[in-house]
Amino acid sequence: MDQTFDAAIVGAGPAGISAACVLADRGVKVVVLERGEYPGSKNMFGGVLYGHHLRQIIPDFVERNCPIERNIVESRLWYLSEEGGLSFGYRDTAFFEEHRNNAFTVGRAKFDRWFADQARAKGAVIVCATVVTDLLTDAAGRVTGVKTDRADGDLRAKVVLLADGVNSPLAAKAGFRPEVRPEDVALAVKEQIALPEEVIDERFGVSPGNGVTCEILGNVTWGMNGVAFLYTNKSSVSIGIGANLADFAIQKARPYEMLESLKTHPMIAPLIKDGKPKEYLAHWLPEGGYDTVPRLCGDGFLIAGDSAMMFNALHREGSNLAMTSGRLAAETILEATERNDFSSSGLQGYVKRMQDAYVLKDLRKYRKFPSFLETHKELFTSLPRATCAAAREILTVDEVPKKARQREAWKAIRGQVPPLRLLRLAWDAWRSVR
Amino acid sequence: MHFVVCIKQVPDTAEVKIDPETNTLVRSGVESIANPYDLAALEEAVRLKERYGGHVTAVSMGPPQAESALRQALSLGADEVVLLSDRAFAGADTLATSYTLSRAVITLGEEDPVGLVLCGKQAIDGDTAQTGPGIATRLSFTQFTYVVEVEWIDPEKNRVQVRRKVEGGFEVINGPLPALLSVELELAVPRRASLPMLIDSLRAPIKVWDAKAIGASLELVGLKGSPTWVKAIASPQIHRAGPKWDAAQGVSEAVSGALDALFADEDFEAKFRKGWET
Amino acid sequence: MAKNTRGIEVAEIISDKCIACQICIGECPVGAIELSPEGVALIDPEVCVGCGKCFDSCPVSAVKYQKKKRAKIPGEERKVPDAGLPGYQGVGVYIETVDGRGAPVSWELAGKARELAGQLGAKVLGFLLGNNVGQAADEAIEYGCDEVHVIDDPLLSHYLPATYGKALSDLCDKLRPAILLIGATPLGRDLAGVVATRLETGLTADCTGLYIEKETGLLLMTRPTFGGNIMATIFCQRHRPQMSSVRPKVFRMPDKEAGRKGVVNRHELEAPAVELPAIVSFIPSGDLAGMDIVRYPALVVAGRGACDASSLPLLEELAQLVGGVIACSRPVVQSGLMPYERQVGQTGKTVAPKLYIGVGVSGAVQHLVAIQGAEKIVAINSDPNAPIFRVADAGIVGNYQEIVPELIAQLKKKKSNGKSGL
Repeated sequence: MDQTFDAAIVGAGPAGISAACVLADRGVKVVVLERGEYPGSKNMFGGVLYGHHLRQIIPDFVERNCPIERNIVESRLWYLSEEGGLSFGYRDTAFFEEHRNNAFTVGRAKFDRWFADQARAKGAVIVCATVVTDLLTDAAGRVTGVKTDRADGDLRAKVVLLADGVNSPLAAKAGFRPEVRPEDVALAVKEQIALPEEVIDERFGVSPGNGVTCEILGNVTWGMNGVAFLYTNKSSVSIGIGANLADFAIQKARPYEMLESLKTHPMIAPLIKDGKPKEYLAHWLPEGGYDTVPRLCGDGFLIAGDSAMMFNALHREGSNLAMTSGRLAAETILEATERNDFSSSGLQGYVKRMQDAYVLKDLRKYRKFPSFLETHKELFTSLPRATCAAAREILTVDEVPKKARQREAWKAIRGQVPPLRLLRLAWDAWRSVR
Repeated sequence: MHFVVCIKQVPDTAEVKIDPETNTLVRSGVESIANPYDLAALEEAVRLKERYGGHVTAVSMGPPQAESALRQALSLGADEVVLLSDRAFAGADTLATSYTLSRAVITLGEEDPVGLVLCGKQAIDGDTAQTGPGIATRLSFTQFTYVVEVEWIDPEKNRVQVRRKVEGGFEVINGPLPALLSVELELAVPRRASLPMLIDSLRAPIKVWDAKAIGASLELVGLKGSPTWVKAIASPQIHRAGPKWDAAQGVSEAVSGALDALFADEDFEAKFRKGWET
Repeated sequence: MAKNTRGIEVAEIISDKCIACQICIGECPVGAIELSPEGVALIDPEVCVGCGKCFDSCPVSAVKYQKKKRAKIPGEERKVPDAGLPGYQGVGVYIETVDGRGAPVSWELAGKARELAGQLGAKVLGFLLGNNVGQAADEAIEYGCDEVHVIDDPLLSHYLPATYGKALSDLCDKLRPAILLIGATPLGRDLAGVVATRLETGLTADCTGLYIEKETGLLLMTRPTFGGNIMATIFCQRHRPQMSSVRPKVFRMPDKEAGRKGVVNRHELEAPAVELPAIVSFIPSGDLAGMDIVRYPALVVAGRGACDASSLPLLEELAQLVGGVIACSRPVVQSGLMPYERQVGQTGKTVAPKLYIGVGVSGAVQHLVAIQGAEKIVAINSDPNAPIFRVADAGIVGNYQEIVPELIAQLKKKKSNGKSGL
């Protein structure tokens, strides 16, 4: 049978499969090489996908039985100290109807397999349990295919799309981007806790099929730059926590212990009471932001998804960036196919598309955010304590007159974080997200 | 020579469990795989083909999902594959299964006489090891079970010699073809498919035969053809839950406590002292 | 209850309970059920006619169905046959011989057959094949057979599926036992498959339990499936004999009753009309491999965590001290540290020693199922939550390298201490 392919994609995750769908739709002969036994087996994420971006690739994803866990109708943000926490959230009926599936939770294994099936149905060939060990290049250094760990394992293609995840051994090996530094990634762990569907509906105050997400900050990451989350699935909740890898190394903290401690927090324990832990996973997240985005394309190749460090830490967006970058890479390949020019300049359209799209625009906007977090560790240490202490003061009702109460509240904050530091924090925060 | 390999797609049994509280099967994440014993049989068939010439047909009885086991067979060297799929085949126990598979072998033999049928000793879900002998008996093929090595095939004399694992050692035995070999894992370690064969297997069309295509009587296949039925399922109940000692509190205390519990039964202690002679 | 577009109240599969036995798929008269990609049954509501046959036939109650007015499908009345199936009597036991003597498993089955026959008011029939096996025939009576039917012929000096298969099937055709028990030795499993196919009857392999159902007189057979993770109870309604194979040491060895009365009948062999294979040679396997751990009254079973060059001498000493040998769990065999002959477990050997000491064995279900018959179980493991503690009569949590030497020391003292009592 014909073994020539136009495009070879490394990795059957959201970025790779998005590209495969777009290309196969237009009749391009595409093969996807995945190292796991099945798409999604080696992948992990928090749990939230965004409907708009999936719709651009599979417009009728709901009708095609996309394995949606819950439609998110409310997003919460919690700022926790050791004993308590401030909560802030937003629920909107728009997310029930006209903006249904604006955001929804999925399980990676189920979703990736479904997504890959869509690509397969369009004609993409998905090869699993096969590791791409190197890129094939010609004398001029342009990429001409991939080398795999199977016998007769060299596969030639006109263009190669690297979508092999945050570690991307290929990108590092080929010199397209440097080895990832610990400061640029977060190590996150996640546990899936089974709870009956009705119990989840009850505890989060939602009707069947709808759900809630909680992003959590504060002392929960033991002073390290990190975040935690709690998402609702159909009959389980996902609870996870992560922090900057460099911080982990310095602090010698163990992620699993941090997760266990999180589960006992008074804001969280009642929500997961009597739940049965089902699965435990760990993964890296690219957190470096705009400054760590590598060269996106070259002679015969492009890079998309986590491999290209496409991750917006502040907004918890990664999968949509992956899908969009995969789609844009595919569009670039279609363009290059027409002109039969897969050189670096022929693929340059990719960079322009990414710059014009929200993808690089957002990353550029939040470019300073990673370093802001690094320089303001009080966000994870004293500030949560300060704000919670102040809140406790204000909410304690007794003989003390309000004026005195407010003074006490202010003293509580000042005691933990000097006012000047607070001002600096506010100023830097505003500048980092401008 | 025409080699036929029987392959069964099975759940990865290490993962199948019953939830003790609800007595229901826990299915999440249970992968379907080709029965490892059958893959050993396939590998041997492909090696024999490479040594003596001929071709290999892999056949599997199962629902449409079983085609992935057959695609794997293609990637590992089978020349042709057939999926036996029909609503009527559902609910089959080993008697009905061996009937269906033997009808398939007969049908395959019409075009090209079958010299050797290979199958795994047992399937890791059923663990009965009955289907191989069942097929051999129905087809009147010479039956060799627990095969760990195929020593030679003589196409002139139409004979095969194998080494079988038996109690206490190995038996070397030869007999006339056509024959059926039911094989042990150690017979052959399956190869890793090459990339071109893997890619081809993903795109190959899969031939599907129903009861009519193999001339099977509807009374003898599937549930209708199964003498045995499942009455109930349960989690294995094994409980004694004797006392536990923690060596961290003191190794010698823990050991003596445990021995006290062990020998609390005086008869048992007496037997122990006598070296178990009764 | 859900209705389809034609207003029929349809049945629904409760997917969590479904064990994918596919009985419902076979029963459905209109083909409305198939296996979904997830591997559970799925009913197409538009095809379903609401007859409820799936609901009736599901062995695990995984069908949601309201039994209101059942639509009658013409001509589909299932005939429930007479469970007694006239013409079939007696509990048959295949007697395997090793060097002219009966194999222990055959006597274990004879003992069980006695029990079952008692409940049925029937006789125990021993079936004995071989060459010069007269002594085994007499022994069979002492172990519980009322009649022993023997085919003694030079053609049967070595086991071949063609000869033994035909001989035993012919005996069953002649004597029509209601039940036939065969020891699940390598030979027995081979033979059982051949005989069941020749007689076109149901065979349930590796049974761990056999019971007579009072109301129907049917034999209920319990066996592990899915690698030992699930126990299934099976029955064979319309076919005879109800065949069951049982592994050695599952049932206890009965007492031998010297001078017990019984009848020995000799039959002629009708040789099969095929060319028989020729046995070229027998190669006995080496020392360690040839060991049959089932024969020993005590076993020290090493798990993956307690199996390396330094630990083996220690465990060997313990084994000697308690009058037994070393065996191991499956992971040890899988990593090549010990040969398969030493494996205790569902896919290895079922054992019933007087004393089982597990060192570093965590206690996977497949392992525990195979040691239930042990008289006393001692477990040593560093994980306090290891499942093996659930079945142990005494357990010690900690590092085996500290515990085993202490255990050896204290056992030595106990042995040398001549006083009986504690």
